[in-house]
Amino acid sequence: MNPLEAIGLLFVLVAATTVLGLVWRARQGRVARVPGDIITPTDVAVTIAFGPTATLLQFSTELCARCPGTRRLLGSVAESRPGVVHVDVDLTHRADLANRYSVLQTPTTLILDGAGRVRARVGGAPNRADIRATLDSIAPNTRRTLTTTLGSSRADD
Amino acid sequence: MPTTRPSRPQLDPRGPRFGAGITAVLLLAVMFLSLTGASTAALILLAAIAGLFAWGAFAGAGRHPYGVVFKKFVRPHLAPPTDLEDAAPPSFAQGVGLAVSLVGLVLGLTGLPGAIGIAAAAAFVAAFLNSVFDYCLGCQLYLVLVRFGVLNRVGRAVGDA
Repeated sequence: MNPLEAIGLLFVLVAATTVLGLVWRARQGRVARVPGDIITPTDVAVTIAFGPTATLLQFSTELCARCPGTRRLLGSVAESRPGVVHVDVDLTHRADLANRYSVLQTPTTLILDGAGRVRARVGGAPNRADIRATLDSIAPNTRRTLTTTLGSSRADD
Repeated sequence: MPTTRPSRPQLDPRGPRFGAGITAVLLLAVMFLSLTGASTAALILLAAIAGLFAWGAFAGAGRHPYGVVFKKFVRPHLAPPTDLEDAAPPSFAQGVGLAVSLVGLVLGLTGLPGAIGIAAAAAFVAAFLNSVFDYCLGCQLYLVLVRFGVLNRVGRAVGDA
């Protein structure tokens, strides 16, 4: 092959890899609304009680660059909302859980409602705004509690 | 099995990405040499890259020569990192790179045409995605190994106990 053809071929490879990367990045952290089964703490072998309004169920492995950052982000979102609990499940020694919940990448986060039913699924590192918006829509109770409190205090005036 | 994680070395995540960028350029050079018929030169360069992968895999991504270059010459010009990351995933990724380039080298030495170039292309895709898009192939493969039960034996033993 002459050098010019070789360079052309390498350009094609770089372009194709760039497209692959752009597609991958666009899908990262996207919230997919997938209705699913009810999950209980026992199902995922944790002793933490799930949240009465919602649960952010994160799946990690011990070898995962984005998992610690995701843990901090979801932990702080859960802390700022009453009734929302963040649970991080390490799949490293639990291949059965990875298979049962079809975890294809880490981190993967399932957003459960108050009943423990899967309402949404996030593959890759999530972003705070999307998680909040999803919690707003699946568990409006957190918001409603606040408005009733405000309303009643106004009524007292 | 201890529930607390052992404290591992932490890295500026931009360090391994910088190194992956250099690796990606070198792998393009391997492919160019291989495509233009300079197979011996391609083989030697891929062997050198494999050596660097081995260094990162066994000494840890933090002690990789590119990491040292990054710390000395690049990081002083950058803002401090927003977050430090565990060194284990990039070190594991170096091991994956080593395995891919070793397969290419062995097949290349046995005279299989194109093996060097194809191995270099595979490693290039991973290195380029890592460098430009912060994609972690090591993390992905680790999960695949977990799912195929390669890393599950310890867990089963603990579960039985």
